[in-house]
Amino acid sequence: MQPAGIANKMSPSYKMVRKYFIASICGFAMLTFLMFINADSITGYHFQPKLLGLTHIATLGWITMIIFGAMFQLVPVVLQVKLFSERLGEIQFWVYLASVTGMVLSFFKFDTFLLAVFASLVSLAILIFIFNITASLIRVKEWNITGTYLAAALFYLFFTVAAGIMMAINLYSPYFKTNHLEYLKLHAHLAFVGWVSMVIMGVTYKLIPMFSLSHGFSLKPAKWVFVFINAGLILLTVEYHFPRRTIMLPISTALIACGNLTFLYQVYLIMKNRVRKNLDVGLTYSMVSFGMMFAATIVGVFLVFEKFLDFDALTRVVLIYGYMILFGYFSLLIVGQMYKIVPFLVWFHKFSSKVGFEPVPLLKDMYSEKLARAEFVLMIFAVAVTITAMALENKILMYASTGVMFVSSLLFLKNMFSIFFIRSVKNDK
Amino acid sequence: MINEEQVMNALRSVIDPEIGLNIVDLGLIYDIIIEEAMITVTMTLTTPGCPMHSSITSWVENQLKALDPGYEVFVNLVWEPKWTPDKMSDEAKRQLGRL
Repeated sequence: MQPAGIANKMSPSYKMVRKYFIASICGFAMLTFLMFINADSITGYHFQPKLLGLTHIATLGWITMIIFGAMFQLVPVVLQVKLFSERLGEIQFWVYLASVTGMVLSFFKFDTFLLAVFASLVSLAILIFIFNITASLIRVKEWNITGTYLAAALFYLFFTVAAGIMMAINLYSPYFKTNHLEYLKLHAHLAFVGWVSMVIMGVTYKLIPMFSLSHGFSLKPAKWVFVFINAGLILLTVEYHFPRRTIMLPISTALIACGNLTFLYQVYLIMKNRVRKNLDVGLTYSMVSFGMMFAATIVGVFLVFEKFLDFDALTRVVLIYGYMILFGYFSLLIVGQMYKIVPFLVWFHKFSSKVGFEPVPLLKDMYSEKLARAEFVLMIFAVAVTITAMALENKILMYASTGVMFVSSLLFLKNMFSIFFIRSVKNDK
Repeated sequence: MINEEQVMNALRSVIDPEIGLNIVDLGLIYDIIIEEAMITVTMTLTTPGCPMHSSITSWVENQLKALDPGYEVFVNLVWEPKWTPDKMSDEAKRQLGRL
């Protein structure tokens, strides 16, 4: 018997985790709003102030913020270890929130001095996180595959931050011997494949079987995924540090692609063995996001042959590639998982001690499933139309799709807030 | 004296909040023994990684103690025989999309 789940006696304080979740959900609404009012800038070459600012709200203010909260909650529960320090988690939150805000504003104004200052503070907050989780992980007695993935993700987070701070300083006072933009590719892939995707994969092996009531499947593919992706990332790092345009880039891309495809096969095995055949909104989001991961992997492989594309076509494909990863894969998955994790977290905190004494709600009664379904349709529509707008460089389509995305993010915000601030039982069935 | 039917009815109000089904229809209750002042419930969970692990047995205890505070309640959580979907009631199977 291995006690696990989402919350138990090892869980950190609910208020600390809630803080991270609420900040990131608000960050998501802010991101979609800023994308809407800056829709005409979401075009062309990706290395431009507004796009960099928007990308960092997405990666730091939304995605990484929510992963911090989720890891504070899940690491103690999944690995049966107390968080090393909740106080550090609290300090980190405020340093991180303030410095990410400053960093994004610096990108928008393209003030390279302030950017270097705020990037240093963001790095400090992230180093506090890495220290806190590492100090917790070293006390784990019973290791599992999720722990292995999370430890690797921390490793890549460290190098993502290192590459980021080096680039911020290089923008203020150039000292790189290699091309800044080549280094940007490394920074982005360490963040996307090494940090975020590695966390998603590790947590998927634990949460998707739990939510879909699946058991009796093999986890062997997950071990191969780990080997493929780590080998690919290490080769990629070497290639971007010493760019020689050798066979190294295609090999590393192929390894990462193999890792992603093997991961999707692992998800298929889990879903094939599930007891719960009906997919609720949370799992539907997750499955669509895995489809988008597949599509992004194909585009990533295609980009190895970038020299066969002209500059205009290449800029569009790169933009679509980044959007597919950030919105199609990461954001859809996170939104879906929030519909599973947040109700449970709040329910456990507010109602678990009341079972047997007074009526308590079911998790699905804590939010409007109808609203969530409407939000899902709008979000998928917005992702598809934004990709089309990027391909056609059509500004009207871009305004329309980012507007729809903003509306859907507000519906998500509304549902999440009604869960977080639920006061009493809505029905007692 | 409490009978088995009363115990089963009480356990029907213990609902897995994630699945939305009660633990009786889910087929988690294996055995109920009612002795002089003691109720022993032998039960399992859908999976050892069930999110409700730490709480579900105390909910069963709460429900049965509320039924009659004069009884001691012992919940015997077992993993053999393993729970399978076949143990669910037809109503539960239909709700999970298996019928």
